[in-house]
Amino acid sequence: MITAEQKPLDEIRGTIAPYRRILVLGCGSCVAECAAGGEKETGMLASALRMAAKMEGKEALIQEKTLERQCVRDFVILLDDLIHDYDAVLSLGCGAGVQAVADMFPEVPIIPALNTEFLGETRDQGLWVENCLGCGDCMLYHFGGICPLARCSKHLLNGPCGGSVDGKCEINPDVPCGWQLIIDRLEQHHALDRLERIYPPKDWSKKQGGGPRKIIREDQQR
Amino acid sequence: MEGNRNMAQSKSKSGKVAGKQGLTLALFYCQNTPESGEGERQSLEQKHGSSLRLFPLPCSGRLDPVHLLRALEEFADAAYVITCPQGACRYFEGNVRARKRLERTRDAIEQIGLERDRLGMVMNTKESPRGLGTIAEEILDTIGRLAPSPVFATRKVAKEKRS
Repeated sequence: MITAEQKPLDEIRGTIAPYRRILVLGCGSCVAECAAGGEKETGMLASALRMAAKMEGKEALIQEKTLERQCVRDFVILLDDLIHDYDAVLSLGCGAGVQAVADMFPEVPIIPALNTEFLGETRDQGLWVENCLGCGDCMLYHFGGICPLARCSKHLLNGPCGGSVDGKCEINPDVPCGWQLIIDRLEQHHALDRLERIYPPKDWSKKQGGGPRKIIREDQQR
Repeated sequence: MEGNRNMAQSKSKSGKVAGKQGLTLALFYCQNTPESGEGERQSLEQKHGSSLRLFPLPCSGRLDPVHLLRALEEFADAAYVITCPQGACRYFEGNVRARKRLERTRDAIEQIGLERDRLGMVMNTKESPRGLGTIAEEILDTIGRLAPSPVFATRKVAKEKRS
């Protein structure tokens, strides 16, 4: 899923300052799972902004709504009846959600309230970790299901480097060495021979070499 | 939302303004707090009028930051939560979670210029557990040191102008 964190309130308040009627718009999908932009967080942010406005003696209308998904137009269209009641929308969607709403309603300023972070896994309650870069050419088979690009700090395809000590990365002793994890996993699978191969530099053309990526599936289209 | 509904249900009916400074306390409490039954709640609300609004929770772990924020936004000068003693939560870690959520909410109100002390938590003790009424009085004394919430300052000025 896509992970995100809320921007500092000062920054958010600065970006919405020119507007009087604001819709705080949450997203019930990935950013709800990572407790950054779901219904609860949307309620919290709207409440804090209303209090801040009252304390400044500012006349502001700050209301809240949460869409099931901000990045799917079938849900964004639900804003059609109400979005023009506002001067701006403060979106707690990921970058894709903000842009989907902005593309559908280009006449309304859509302001991001979150910093979109990474493709991650919910490893535990309150713990999200990055484990995919979305490179467009998955190599997980070769590395026992552990991505060296996402989980080795140096993105090495032919590791480990000399900075791996006791299974930890030299950048920080709290960070597991991605390559130690790969070797341990391949050993478990009796597949260490996969590491005999020398992997050429990653072909990044499948990530963004051709510009913004898109997937077209005719069988899924109307 | 649910928090608002509960707040509306628990609103004091007397409407009188009590408390030394006319401050209002939103008090969330775990229903396992001693002497916190419906009778005690009603009698406390009658005694303190609109200066005390009580919100029973099945466990303090049910407390959500948005409950505290809504209270501060809509009517309260301070919001507190009463939890079970350390290690004595019926659901194991409700009071631990309540503390973490409280701290997060304190961070949020600090960012908009409200004092952290407007939010607080009282953890009961195993050795000499106190009842809801006793703790409520203690908290009302504590918040007596606070100035009225600046969130309602413009509203109060407007009321004064009208009168």
